[in-house]
Amino acid sequence: MELIPWPELHAMDQSIMQEILQYLFSGITNGAIYAVIAIGFSMLYNSTDLINFAHGEFVMLGSLCMVTFFGSMHLPLVPAIILTIICVAIAGLVFERLAIRSVKHPEPIVLIIITVGASIFLRGLGMIIWGKDAYSIPSFSSHPPLDIAGAKLLSQSIWIIVIFLVASVGLQLFYKKTLTGKAMEANAISKRAAWIVGIPSKLMVMLAFGLSTAMGGLAGVIIAPITMSSYDMGTMLGLKGFCAAMLGGLGSLWGALIGGFLLGILEALGVGFVSSGLKDATAFVLLLFILYVRPGGIISSADANRF
Amino acid sequence: MNNHQTRNRICYAVFSLLIILAGYTIENPYYIQVLTFIGINTLLALGLNMLMGYAGQISLGHAAFFGIGAYGTAILTVHYNLSPWLALPAAIAAAMIVAYIVGIPTLKLSGYYLGMGTLGFGMIVNILFREWSSVTGGASGFIGIPTLELGPVSFSSGRNYFFLVWGFVLTSFIICQRIIDSRIGRALRAIHDGEKAASAVGVDTRKLKLQVFVLSAAFSALAGFLYAHLVFFISPGTFSFIASIRMVTMVVIGGMASIWGSLLGASLLTLLPEWLHAFSEFEMVVYGLILMIVMIFLPRGLTRGLLDIYERANKKNDH
Amino acid sequence: MTTELPLLEIKTVFKAFGGVQALSDITFSLNPGSITGLIGPNGAGKTTLFNLISGVFPVDKGKIVFSGTGIKNKKPHTLVDIGISRTFQNVELFESMTVLENILVGQHTRTRCGMWGSILRFPWVAGEEKKAHQFAMELLDFVGLNGHADKTSGDLPFGWQRLLEIARALASRPKLLLLDEPAAGLNIVETMQLGDLIKKIREQGVTVLLVEHDMSLTMEISDWIVVLDQGEKIAQGTPRTVQADEKVIAAYLGTAGKKTED
Repeated sequence: MELIPWPELHAMDQSIMQEILQYLFSGITNGAIYAVIAIGFSMLYNSTDLINFAHGEFVMLGSLCMVTFFGSMHLPLVPAIILTIICVAIAGLVFERLAIRSVKHPEPIVLIIITVGASIFLRGLGMIIWGKDAYSIPSFSSHPPLDIAGAKLLSQSIWIIVIFLVASVGLQLFYKKTLTGKAMEANAISKRAAWIVGIPSKLMVMLAFGLSTAMGGLAGVIIAPITMSSYDMGTMLGLKGFCAAMLGGLGSLWGALIGGFLLGILEALGVGFVSSGLKDATAFVLLLFILYVRPGGIISSADANRF
Repeated sequence: MNNHQTRNRICYAVFSLLIILAGYTIENPYYIQVLTFIGINTLLALGLNMLMGYAGQISLGHAAFFGIGAYGTAILTVHYNLSPWLALPAAIAAAMIVAYIVGIPTLKLSGYYLGMGTLGFGMIVNILFREWSSVTGGASGFIGIPTLELGPVSFSSGRNYFFLVWGFVLTSFIICQRIIDSRIGRALRAIHDGEKAASAVGVDTRKLKLQVFVLSAAFSALAGFLYAHLVFFISPGTFSFIASIRMVTMVVIGGMASIWGSLLGASLLTLLPEWLHAFSEFEMVVYGLILMIVMIFLPRGLTRGLLDIYERANKKNDH
Repeated sequence: MTTELPLLEIKTVFKAFGGVQALSDITFSLNPGSITGLIGPNGAGKTTLFNLISGVFPVDKGKIVFSGTGIKNKKPHTLVDIGISRTFQNVELFESMTVLENILVGQHTRTRCGMWGSILRFPWVAGEEKKAHQFAMELLDFVGLNGHADKTSGDLPFGWQRLLEIARALASRPKLLLLDEPAAGLNIVETMQLGDLIKKIREQGVTVLLVEHDMSLTMEISDWIVVLDQGEKIAQGTPRTVQADEKVIAAYLGTAGKKTED
């Protein structure tokens, strides 16, 4: 057996550190995206007790709208983002108004199938509008990647994290500081009580839908430069965002954040050190683990629906 | 013998006659093939209906058992040169064992959480089909699954396969009908109506839910076996999350807690894409719309929904 | 008191939920063939005690002994098997099933046809079904619901649903029947009929433990009364002695103005 000389061993250590750091960066980037998707799920679940299986498709719409506005029409960045989010939110509102509000007996199984139907519909719509091609758009800015201890942090990653921070701080402020936000939270806690004090429940549900799908659109916006966008990208993203929301604790915003980052980082480390093929399984293994051990998620107390 | 049983016997007799009649009179091989697929889908819907419709437990991952049946027979017959007729019980047993192991922790959950647990399980199995390529052929699929033969009878022809599949369907219908009409079936429906009350009258709800979960896995695996030997080629996409959702949709659209509803749901969901080919690129949009519209206006499924409309119309006429 | 062995013994039972002590140091026993009334103001812990006896929650400390064996950690369905049956405060029927089917499910522990039995229809299965039907009809007769066997149970008027739930509980041939506020929601006539029914059940040799707010009913039919207040047993005795007990009077009057949650 050959002994490795000391300086080289040291160098190897350093390269492993570098590698871990690199995976950590990509994990945090993905984590931020999962967190944004998970927040959308959680917000909606909070206000309506509904799990929207079409949520991933709103992410897809966001991504492809961004391809059109920013990639093809060359609108400036900020107007392109705003326009995209508005379009996706409008799609969400239309969905709520036409499909969800028409349901007379909102049992989980019926709602699951309606939202699944919506996801197929939206995927089909995406295919009609954008075709079956996959698109990519340039990064939001052309800065060179940052070099941190030998690992590279892409400028788009910084964009993603910054936008994520702005969005979650904004949401937090909205819920805690504005009257509308407080009304939404009250409505989420008890519809009846909120109704008694004069909060219009229907409007709150619509608002929740709009905000939730807007978050989905935002996730689509930030992911567009780092992936290939196509009509069928939504399903997996939606399911993973959903896993993240469950992981943290369904219905809790902080839970969604924690779940998103945990999933992103573990997935990245899994790719690095186990196998890239099994990457997609990480989310679901975590999901099963949390359901079996603590079905309420990391954040919420373990009251959940266990018989 | 009471009315209910007499009516059932007549129903099954007519049903068998229709199968025989269809098998011998339909000449067009395309129709025969579509009907064979309907049979396979009916098995899927039936198994899941026992779990969802009767016991009230949702599963969003049942395509996994469909896949275990298909890959099970593919692996055993191709890699191990086993006779398909030995691979059949082996594949079904494999699905049942997996269902048993997964069911113990998963069936403790309820509502959305149960849906998510089964979804996660289905996704993991599907990823295994895709990634464990040395055994499953990976994303590009598994080729060379042999034709079924039984002595001098070869099931390569459409007609023979049609009879094989519908023979299994008929047997499965009778098995399920018998379970539903028994002590076990009553206990299942009791769990559906109220789990707390069911255990308070002495039903071991955990054990029974697990039994039904295992049973429904067995039907799915049987469907998988029949599917694999019909098309000779399987790939992970057939057993994906979308496939699980399709199964749920068949059950709900056809009608929960209805054996004939499973047949109706499976027929519609098999025929719908065939009809929708005419819409070419609008196919998915129309499919999604139909799903939403049926669920919004007939949330109890077509069988019940149409019956309700009929009854309402009758009541109006009375006044 | 008689020298017979008690059917059910509650021995220094404690139960807390979170920080709230729901029951502390409860001890009493039921004689076979008796009707015992468990009374107390709202929040006294009556329903909690019921849930402990029927195995819904485990006991924190102490022991519950049924027919000489401890029932610690036994699941509700096992308890039905050994002879403890119950009804619920807010009637819990299998609403989509018929009246007859509800009672057939009630016989679950007394029949044994399993998955294989139902698929293969062994010869004995038909015999078992026939017997179960017969017994179900007898029970319907017993509670006065004959002629309604094929109605959907969810469509019955409320008073009949109560009766059906009692019949379903009797279907497992229990030794001990726990009735959780059986008179709630019934009118005066129905309550009187219920009293007669409970006495008839006792005549069949079934021991009854009854939680009830209707004092006149409880006092009339019970042989023995146990009074709980705020999780503690404050009195027990015959209806006459309990009614005269100062602690009991104080407990009822003292909490009369103040509403606590049950």
